[in-house]
Amino acid sequence: MSQAEDKFDAIIVGAGPAGSACAYTLAKAGKNVLVIERGDSPGSKNVTGGRIYTYALEMLEPGIFAEAALERRVTHEQIMLLAGQRAITVDFHQPGFNAEDQAPVSFTVLRAVFDEWLAGKAEEMGAIVACGIKVDRLIEEEGRIAGVVAGEDEMYADVVIAADGVNSFMAQEAGLIQDISAKTMGVGVKEVIELPAQTISERFNLQADEGAARMLLGCTEGIHGGGFLYTNKQSISLGCVFTPEEVAQHKRSVHEIFQDLKMHPAIAPLIAGGETIEYSAHLVSEAGVRGIHPKLHREGFLMIGDAAGFVINTGYSIRGIDLAIVSGIAAANAIIAAAENIASVGPNYIQELNRLKLLPAMKAADGYFEVLETPWIYDKIPNLANDIMENLFRISGEVPLRMKDNVLGAIKANGLTVWQLAKLGIKGVRSL
Amino acid sequence: MSQVIACYKWVADEADIRINADLSIDLSKAKGKISDYDKNAIEAAIQAAAVLGGKAVGVTFGTSDAKPSLKDALSRGLDEVCYIKAQEASQADGAATARALAAAIKKLENVSLIICAEGASDTYSRQTAPRIGAFLDLPVVTSVSKMELTGNTLTAVRKLDDCLQTVKVDLPAVVAVLPEINPAPIPGLKAVLAAGKKPVHELKAADLGVDLSPLSTISEIKGYIMDRKNIIFNEGDLAEQVKALVAALRKEGVL
Repeated sequence: MSQAEDKFDAIIVGAGPAGSACAYTLAKAGKNVLVIERGDSPGSKNVTGGRIYTYALEMLEPGIFAEAALERRVTHEQIMLLAGQRAITVDFHQPGFNAEDQAPVSFTVLRAVFDEWLAGKAEEMGAIVACGIKVDRLIEEEGRIAGVVAGEDEMYADVVIAADGVNSFMAQEAGLIQDISAKTMGVGVKEVIELPAQTISERFNLQADEGAARMLLGCTEGIHGGGFLYTNKQSISLGCVFTPEEVAQHKRSVHEIFQDLKMHPAIAPLIAGGETIEYSAHLVSEAGVRGIHPKLHREGFLMIGDAAGFVINTGYSIRGIDLAIVSGIAAANAIIAAAENIASVGPNYIQELNRLKLLPAMKAADGYFEVLETPWIYDKIPNLANDIMENLFRISGEVPLRMKDNVLGAIKANGLTVWQLAKLGIKGVRSL
Repeated sequence: MSQVIACYKWVADEADIRINADLSIDLSKAKGKISDYDKNAIEAAIQAAAVLGGKAVGVTFGTSDAKPSLKDALSRGLDEVCYIKAQEASQADGAATARALAAAIKKLENVSLIICAEGASDTYSRQTAPRIGAFLDLPVVTSVSKMELTGNTLTAVRKLDDCLQTVKVDLPAVVAVLPEINPAPIPGLKAVLAAGKKPVHELKAADLGVDLSPLSTISEIKGYIMDRKNIIFNEGDLAEQVKALVAALRKEGVL
């Protein structure tokens, strides 16, 4: 074969939401696109237990969400604070998040299904998706990235796009990132627990296609991290994310702590009778805007999605899939706008990331990183909140504590000071 | 130009098949794949075609679900694929499958060799190759672990229970190969890309002019639980325990 036959406008490494959204947009504009996926099918290597905010799909193609492989429409946003056997659950219900005349705000998804669907849409647009193939290295010519090598085969492209997820091997190959730092990463474990749809609806008080998304604090034995729970149609995704460095110093393994969470009196009844059909572990970027790699491109090369570090964790929500899709669209737009001028692709990309509000959104959420850095919010805060609740509701016939004494006493009992809490509050307010 | 045929079947991936508590089978989450042993048959056909200087052609009989198999089969190195697309395939037994495949093969010219796997990874009935041979009146060699082509002669080593039998046949012939015939390689990037450009011939049941109704029908499929004896040998010291275990294994005829 001549080089002309082996050359594409773009080669995308990884058929996750970022890669497929990018391929879809490029192919729709008539570009010749190849997506190379390591798994036997798109989504097969994925672990996200997740949710997607619909605006990103609307940005890709208005109305496309209606045919997407999605699970439940999230109308219950919940936060749970666990301490010992106790739990406080805040449940914000907004049925309007699933109004009939508009796209719902967010869906829960099972990525194995969703990724395959989105890759299929890209194929329908004319992109070529080659699965079961691992890219071994990048081809560099005259200082620019010119293609990829997979096994014995070389393939060339004007632009190679790294959509190969967190700890991107492609970006390391391109010399844009070093080995990742343990400080900015979380290690996540997740189980998908199968239950009948009716049972899930009853346990979470959900109507028809409604779903719940829950963030958990206080389930990591004080380790920097937290849990999440998403209701799918016929399963529950339950998981925890931990800072690996702290886990290493901790006496118990991530798996043991996670099994304890499953046994917690407030969690166990939700998953009772269910069967674990999947167990998985993965790295998660935790640093928000500071985790974005300083250089997201070089000539002939772009990074999108998790590979670029696009994850926002505010403590009350985690965003990744929507940002992946938006960054894929941004990369595609950059390539389309550049036309023959390949050198302008990189600067175009940054411009698009700003225009599509991805980088501004990440910067806006930056303050949360510092709040989440406070070591005692992972055990003392949930314990404090539960202590206050317990003092409030335990009626014994004694003279009840005054509210002020209840709170101050609980703060002291948890080894905290009002001053520390005030400082955290200021940080929190600033981050907003 | 001579043609070497590889017959293959699109089956449910057994890794995704679930057996429910009532022993009923749940295929709803099962993805399809080319039967594992057929991947070796495809590779054997490609190698044979190279020796004979001919084309390697895949033939499959399946429902519309089998469509994804075409790209996979072609990426493994076949030159073209003939796809008999018929709803009857969902109920087919060995007889109907072989009749369909034989009818399609009959339409091809200069067929010198037809290669099947010994059995499919789902039903493992071992009927396809012998029945195709019968329909086309060709010699059949089964359980082939090694084969060599010299001119118009095929020398095949058949793996029997505890011995190897070497058989010679003149082409054209039908062979059923065992997985050990070759290590079916995983297709590379260029092979996957090239697959999209290779020809696929689609045939409908009506084009074949044969009856595709099965001779045997499946009335039930259910899981089974292996009965285990659950004997624990914990009486006496280690030597006695081993002695008891060996005696029990002898009694069962295992030793």
